[in-house]
Parts: sequence; structure tokens; C-alpha cells
Amino acid sequence: MTRIVVVTSGKGGVGKTTTSASFSSGLALRGFKTAVIDFDVGLRNLDLIMGCERRVVYDLINVINGEATLSQALIKDKHCGNDNLYVLPASQTRDKDALTEEGVEKVLKELEHMGFDYIVCDSPAGIEHGAIMALTFADEALIVTNPEVSSVRDSDRILGIIQAKSRRAIAGGEPVKEHLLITRYSPKRVEDGEMLSYKDIHEILRVKIIGVVPESELVLQSSNQGAPAIHLKGSDVSDAYFDIVDRFLGKEDKPLRFVDYEKPGLLKRIFGGK
Amino acid sequence: MARANKKRSLIEFKGTTLPVVSVTLHSLQPAALTKAATELFGDDAFFDGDAAVLELDAIEDGDADWAALRALFGTHGLTVIGVRGGPETLRTSAATAGLPSFAAFKRAARASEDAVPPAPVHAEPVQAPPVQAEPAPTPAPPPPIVKTVSVPTLVIDRPLRSGQQAYARGGDLVVLAAVNAGAEVIADGSIHIYAPLRGRALAGASGSTEARIFTTRFEPELVSIAGVYRTFEAGVPERLAGRPTQIRLAGGAEGASSLVIEALSTD
Repeated sequence: MTRIVVVTSGKGGVGKTTTSASFSSGLALRGFKTAVIDFDVGLRNLDLIMGCERRVVYDLINVINGEATLSQALIKDKHCGNDNLYVLPASQTRDKDALTEEGVEKVLKELEHMGFDYIVCDSPAGIEHGAIMALTFADEALIVTNPEVSSVRDSDRILGIIQAKSRRAIAGGEPVKEHLLITRYSPKRVEDGEMLSYKDIHEILRVKIIGVVPESELVLQSSNQGAPAIHLKGSDVSDAYFDIVDRFLGKEDKPLRFVDYEKPGLLKRIFGGK
Repeated sequence: MARANKKRSLIEFKGTTLPVVSVTLHSLQPAALTKAATELFGDDAFFDGDAAVLELDAIEDGDADWAALRALFGTHGLTVIGVRGGPETLRTSAATAGLPSFAAFKRAARASEDAVPPAPVHAEPVQAPPVQAEPAPTPAPPPPIVKTVSVPTLVIDRPLRSGQQAYARGGDLVVLAAVNAGAEVIADGSIHIYAPLRGRALAGASGSTEARIFTTRFEPELVSIAGVYRTFEAGVPERLAGRPTQIRLAGGAEGASSLVIEALSTD
């Protein structure tokens, strides 16, 4: 049974693509055949973060329009070291209206027939057509939120849209399963009262938290290098994303990490270690 | 929700309110009525098969040829489904002819339009000469023949999120989950929120000044009752913020113009 997961947020710049890349890589590393689709037609980014931009020949819109087959357009990821992860890039040149509901459904159905376990849909920012298309067929949703009021409100809005416009919502029955994923979290700034705490965010959105990713310089570095941050073994960002993948796969009792501020010890203060 | 429930019963019961054309009659003479209707609408069906209720308050007594009345309004596209008000004898004869009586339905809002006499009249209703009671229909109204159609309360049990709206038309609204910032709840009656209210709540949306808003956690953007609203630019007053709160209009029906926001004791 293929599960379709949308990574969405409403607001831009909160870490949707970073999360899509690391989350889909994590699923692949855990042994699941995974496809990750960039829905941001016109602002193609996922291929950069995944480091496969030089191998893009065909894209999602080509497949929808029948100009290429799905297997021609799917790019195999080289970071995971297995054959589990494939990237379907967005079109950089086409108009976003080319993204039709029938076309998207056709592509998703075909991926299902190809035996994918998970399809991760990287949503564009906003609540326009592309974002709606990304969430329409979702079984589960990762709501990426920053500890900041405008991001929380936009997440609230996108949750409402999922409840109204997804196929599951329209057909009735079991709704889209929602997970709250907080990124760019800085326990120190929370402690100092400069940032919303994860408890505050949960209190407002009332969606179960699947994980908290700490603010880290490594995210920017790994994006620029084109290797998803989850591959930086031993780093807090990588650990956080692995926790998220494990919780998603059923280990829901894993305790939250990277949410408490530890005062730097004496040695750390003297030597300024990181 | 439609396809999911396979075991759905064949008959479902739900209360509802429907738009109905109200036709006030000042005469029951078929000939005179026909003439008047023709003057108004010509010969064609002006209405589009709309349901109509005949208002009989203006009729003193006498009897009516209900079949003829039905046919008359039928030619103009109105389907007569019942009568309202008027002498009891008339309503009984209508019921025999298959036209049920609808209960007289006078709300506070309506009373404030035509019943100008000040409050003291209401003060001693005991033994007051019946002539004084001007707005009430002729004798003490008999128990309604048809059961009163009450508007069901709209209950919402999921969070209302930014951009979402819920409207309880004609009745009360009960929300069992948070009303978040940017969400809007509206009711013609009262609003009860057993969770934080962070968005907008508008009770008495069609003018009912008796409507109230209740919430177990008061953190709203805006509250309004019968069009009297308040925003919280400088933040919610500290004594109320986050507490169980009631919002109502001061003074009740007449001259109510200021919102009273007070903490509820929930012990």
C-alpha cells in the first residue's frame, strides 16, 4: 500500500524542501522505496538540495503531458547508497497551470504501480494551485512550522485547507493524518523568551508533534553542497530527522530531543567549543 | 461524508429552516383577491413554485374557500403550505382543508419594531385588562396546533483554523475545539465555545440582542453581539485573558448598546 505524504507549511522559507529531502532520504535509508516529487513548478529547488540538478532531463510536467515516461523522469538518488530513493523534479519553465488534478493523479497512480512504499510531495509555499495539488491526494501531512507567530498562523491555515480540500476530506472517512514538525528551533532563544516554545505551538495548532529540528548552520551548508542534512551522521539535525522518520514509521514513544537548553559548561565557555 | 458510511439508514431526520413567502391577507373574498393578484402579477406565474404561508392576523372572522385560495396563488406560482395567526375558527377550517397552522413566531427583534410602548406595560401582566395587550393576537394564544420547529444547535468538534468559518443559521453554535486566530464563528443565537477563543465570534448575527458568547478561554480578536463589537488592540484585559468569560449586551432588549465582558465563575 503506497502512502502519500505531503510536506507543507503555507509560509515560505520554513524548511519544507529541506525536510522533504531529509525525510524522504530517511525513509529510503530505513529500507522503503520512496519517491519525492517537487510540486513547486517554476521555482525548482528540490533537485538542488538533493544534488541532482545536473541530471534533470525531464520533469513532472513532461510526464503529465505525456512528453516523457515516468521512468525517464525519475532521478535515482546517489546519497543513500541503495536504490530506494527517486526524485521527480519540477519544471522550471512551464506555467503552473500545467499541473492538473487528473495529471497529478495519473502520476501518483503510476508510482503506486511501480511499487513505491512512500511518495513525498514537496509543496510550494502559499495556498495557491501548486500547494493545493500537492496536498490533494495526501494520506498524511507533515506541517513544517517555525517557532514564530506568522508561521504558526499559516500552518493553521494550511491545516484548514487540508481538512477542506484533500480527497480524503471530500470523500469522508478517515481524514488526512497530520503531523507537526517544528524546524529552526533554538532552545536558548525560547529560554530567553524570544521564540515560541514547542508547547506554545502545540497549544495553538493542537496537532501531535512528530519532531523538533534545531536551528543549525549545517542545514545551509548541506543545502549548498547538495546533500540532504540527514546524511551528516552524528549531527543534531541528522539525529532529529532520523527521530522524525522513526516516529513516522511507528516508534511514536521516542522522546523529543533538542528542545531543552543546556547552559554551556565552564570548559565550553572558555574554549568556545561548539 | 457521503460514501463512507455504508450502513446508513434509509431515512434521516434533521431539523431545518426553509425560506417561505409570507402572504398577508386583508380579505378572504376570492373575487376581490383574484382581482388584486392579477393587478400585481398579471396573468403569469410570478413566483417560481415557492412555498407560501398565508398570514391571517388581519382577518377578523368569516370563512374561506381554501381550495380556491390555493388555486388562485397556484396560478401565480405560489404553493400554499399552511396558515399562520388569525381567528381559531379560521385556522381549524384551514386544517380541515389540509393547510396546517404554523405557530406565531415573534422574536424580540421583531417586537422591538412594532411594539413601541415602553416597558412598564409588561411589568404587571397579572389581571391587566386584555385591551391593553396590543401586540398579542386576539385571545390568549391557544397551544400551537403544530409542533414548533426549533432550529437545531450546530455543534462543531474539530478546531476551527485560520480562514475557516462556521455559521449557525437561526440558532446556537457550540464549538468543542479551539477557534484559532483568523477563524470566525457566527450564530444567529448564542455561541458557546468549550475551548480557547482566539479568533472572531459574532453572536446574534441577525439582530438578536439576547444572544451571548461563552468561552472557557478568552483570547479573542473580536467579539460582537447584534452588531455591537469590540476589538482588543491593546490586548485582552488582564483580568479576563485566558479565563472563562461571558459576553452579553447590557440592558437587554431595548437600548442595549454596550458589550459587557465578564469572567465566569465555573466552580
